[in-house]
Amino acid sequence: MPANLRPRPTACTEQPAAALGPEGPFPRVRLRKVLERRWLHYAFLSRDHELGMVANVAWLGPGLEAEDAPPRCTSILLVHKRGEGWCASQFNTQTSTPLWSAFQQPHNLHTPEPLTLTSTSASPAVELQLSRSSRPCTSQSAWFAPDQHLRWQSETGVIARGRWTFKDQTFDNVEAIGYHERVRGYWGWPELGGWVFGFANDPGGASDQPPPTAFVFTLIQPRGPGDTATGSVMVWRNGRLRRHFPRRCVTFAVRGQLQRDKVQQVPALSNLFGVPPMEPIPQQLMISARMGDDWVTYDYHCDAAARVVIPSETSLRPFSVHEVIGPVHVEGCISGEHFTFDTYGIVEFAGGADDC
Amino acid sequence: MTADTAAELLKATVDELSRRAPAVIAAAADQLRGIILGLHFGDGSRSELRADHSRLVVTGPNGETPHVEVYFDDRAMNLLFDLERKPIDQVWAQRLDVRGYREQVLAVWRTFQVLSQRGSGLRAVQGLWRSYRDRNPQRWGRPAELPADTRSRNPQRTRNTGWHALDYLDNRYAEDIAKASSTVGGAVYTDARSLWDGYQSKPWWQFADVADTDLMETMQACKDRVSQEFQRIVPDREPRAELYDLMREYPAREGKGLRPTLTIATCCALGGRDEDAVRAAAAVELFHNGFLVHDDIADESTHRRNEPTLHEAHGIGLAVNTGDAMNLLAVDAVLSNLPTLGLARTLGLIHEIMHMCRETVEGQAIELGWIRHLTVPKTDQDYFTMSTKKTGWYTCISPCRLGAICAGETDPGKLDLFTEAFRLIGIAFQIQDDVLNLLGDEVLYGKEPLGDLFEGKRTVMMIHLFREVAPKRRQRLLDIIRLSRTEKRFEDAEEILAAMHQVGSIEYAVKVADRLAHEGVRRFEEDLAFIPENEAKALLRQIANYVTTRPL
Repeated sequence: MPANLRPRPTACTEQPAAALGPEGPFPRVRLRKVLERRWLHYAFLSRDHELGMVANVAWLGPGLEAEDAPPRCTSILLVHKRGEGWCASQFNTQTSTPLWSAFQQPHNLHTPEPLTLTSTSASPAVELQLSRSSRPCTSQSAWFAPDQHLRWQSETGVIARGRWTFKDQTFDNVEAIGYHERVRGYWGWPELGGWVFGFANDPGGASDQPPPTAFVFTLIQPRGPGDTATGSVMVWRNGRLRRHFPRRCVTFAVRGQLQRDKVQQVPALSNLFGVPPMEPIPQQLMISARMGDDWVTYDYHCDAAARVVIPSETSLRPFSVHEVIGPVHVEGCISGEHFTFDTYGIVEFAGGADDC
Repeated sequence: MTADTAAELLKATVDELSRRAPAVIAAAADQLRGIILGLHFGDGSRSELRADHSRLVVTGPNGETPHVEVYFDDRAMNLLFDLERKPIDQVWAQRLDVRGYREQVLAVWRTFQVLSQRGSGLRAVQGLWRSYRDRNPQRWGRPAELPADTRSRNPQRTRNTGWHALDYLDNRYAEDIAKASSTVGGAVYTDARSLWDGYQSKPWWQFADVADTDLMETMQACKDRVSQEFQRIVPDREPRAELYDLMREYPAREGKGLRPTLTIATCCALGGRDEDAVRAAAAVELFHNGFLVHDDIADESTHRRNEPTLHEAHGIGLAVNTGDAMNLLAVDAVLSNLPTLGLARTLGLIHEIMHMCRETVEGQAIELGWIRHLTVPKTDQDYFTMSTKKTGWYTCISPCRLGAICAGETDPGKLDLFTEAFRLIGIAFQIQDDVLNLLGDEVLYGKEPLGDLFEGKRTVMMIHLFREVAPKRRQRLLDIIRLSRTEKRFEDAEEILAAMHQVGSIEYAVKVADRLAHEGVRRFEEDLAFIPENEAKALLRQIANYVTTRPL
């Protein structure tokens, strides 16, 4: 059967809880090695840009010593209110089951399904109804060590409606739009090096329709070998991926440093462990991409950041993922159609485990 | 500050850098060591440049034969200060004539590399050069004709990827750079840099260079921030005129802002945030001001920071009470860290503050004992011990250690690494202060001239004087310093000063301070190598070098 055709539903695919897509880039086999990982990632911004949310659920292989053991699961939820900064759960957020994913098959567009993430202390928490409005990109892969790799697949334009709970405030009927991603691979944090990743959705358009334009980018910066760094920029128009700019066609530049006062370290427990400092994150990120007559620019200013400290299995220094919210201006031309929009976007600057 | 001639511009540049970026001057002086450079500018002005320890000294020609001489034509100032083009590209058409041995010429060249490259990063210095260039464009020289692609990119790549993100940041946002202001927590605006140009990746977390910070601007920013905290801490209630207004007014008098800068910069250097260190910095300032009020009473000083001391203006009773209240509120300021820094760090701060106060009162007791018992210590070491206790801990050592604790560094081994470097720097700073009291301008120094001699303060100069002076004269000088402050006449103080000049006590003290400062800078680099290079550490380095390059 050609790879681009979806198989007919079988007994196996009718149990979406166990399914994370077709075998291949994201095989439906259990994690075995200790550095084997699987992630589901969610990021949303409310349409008025007042609220933001990032969540990550990660499974890590049990290792050879305990082959029969289930994979270890960690999950974290971060919520952001403009002007008040981020607040986060520990790495033990309680999640609804089955966990929502756009990559579970079958999964129709415009069909709300629940996603609940709750900190053990009850806040922060989100109770959302998620519905897809767009289609995913093809999966991408980065190889950066003899046996280490990372695969990911993104879907933008995910619509979220529901309740967001902060420490002392609850917001009902929040409408947000965001991004979903699945990741699978085998890597150690020092070898991975770091990444810069982010997205932006055009806030225009009807609330139940896909954003007129969506922008997603990735830059993976491994420690080595030399030519393994890779990046891409993808542009969706009206829910469909219209252009994928490969790594030779994109450039990334940064300027300035975000003041440390604007960076909060999470989860709170990490503050007890004397975590070494991380370099300041850039204040401005500029991306340009051009392929033939198509081009796009992404001009992002960091506003507030949360440094998520992730213990590294193979190095003394932790891996840090900075979740950043800030205003962005996107402009471009795809197939002769010009577009431009201003909105808020979420960017991740991750790295820092490779110094020891 | 404006400069009309090229020689004035050079002097103004060195003066400005000495104040704002001492580390740059120290690095430049290190290259020029032992060489006298004669500069003959095209406008007819002349200068001589030499290194004196870690200072750069610019003078007019004084008869000595320079080791290296440079003759400029009348359009060539940009050779010294412009970075638009490599000087090798400009040394043509007899615009520049250099005479000297090759090694020395290269040393001169490296000196100006440091001055121009690192100095050009400071807005105050840029302003100085821009002002000269605008008024004397013909003397500055022609603007460099830059190649179209200044970053030497491969044209093939440019065609493939369209224009670069880096060009966008450089060109579209160029005007932002001039408007930007730097802060302690991050020299917020840095040059744009590429992370990925389609072929080469440079990790976002690796910064090529840490820029030099403008020390004056940053110290002022830190001082202002702590002053705001002061206003918050001091209650707005009665009795205002007799207490709270005095508490607000006294710390607001002109000061350098050294202690707040050390606390905040150390916190940031270790990965902490500015705001985490502000309350601790305010507490140190409150303790410091409380001590000063009491110290002025004990020393019978009349002036502090260019104004009458508190007891002169409001009487001893109110002054003592205000000093007590400042110490009390300082404890409150430390405790107010509890909700933000947590119990462990706050306890660490309290422990450190207690240590600082104990050292200070012990040092004060030693000094007052010398005066009370009419003795002059025999060795410099006695002075070093007293000085470290009385001023070293609260001026240099504790502010750093407190900043480190605010950042979460409570390991005593790590905290002790700050002690030796800043102990040496603190003593050198105090000796320089004592020298300035004898030689400095009252307006600049802020205290009454020769005040230390009226007080009979046992300084390194005084100790050296009594060690070196002939026995006959020693008795006469002892009789003078045993007089109380009110009994001493101005002629008495001048007699001691003359004796110090005679036996070389002041030159001796300057040398001792230089030696200690250099040792302090060396220990700074060695002991604090564990702190990653960042803009806050660069600021600490500027402060360490400030002592070595301070004009005396």
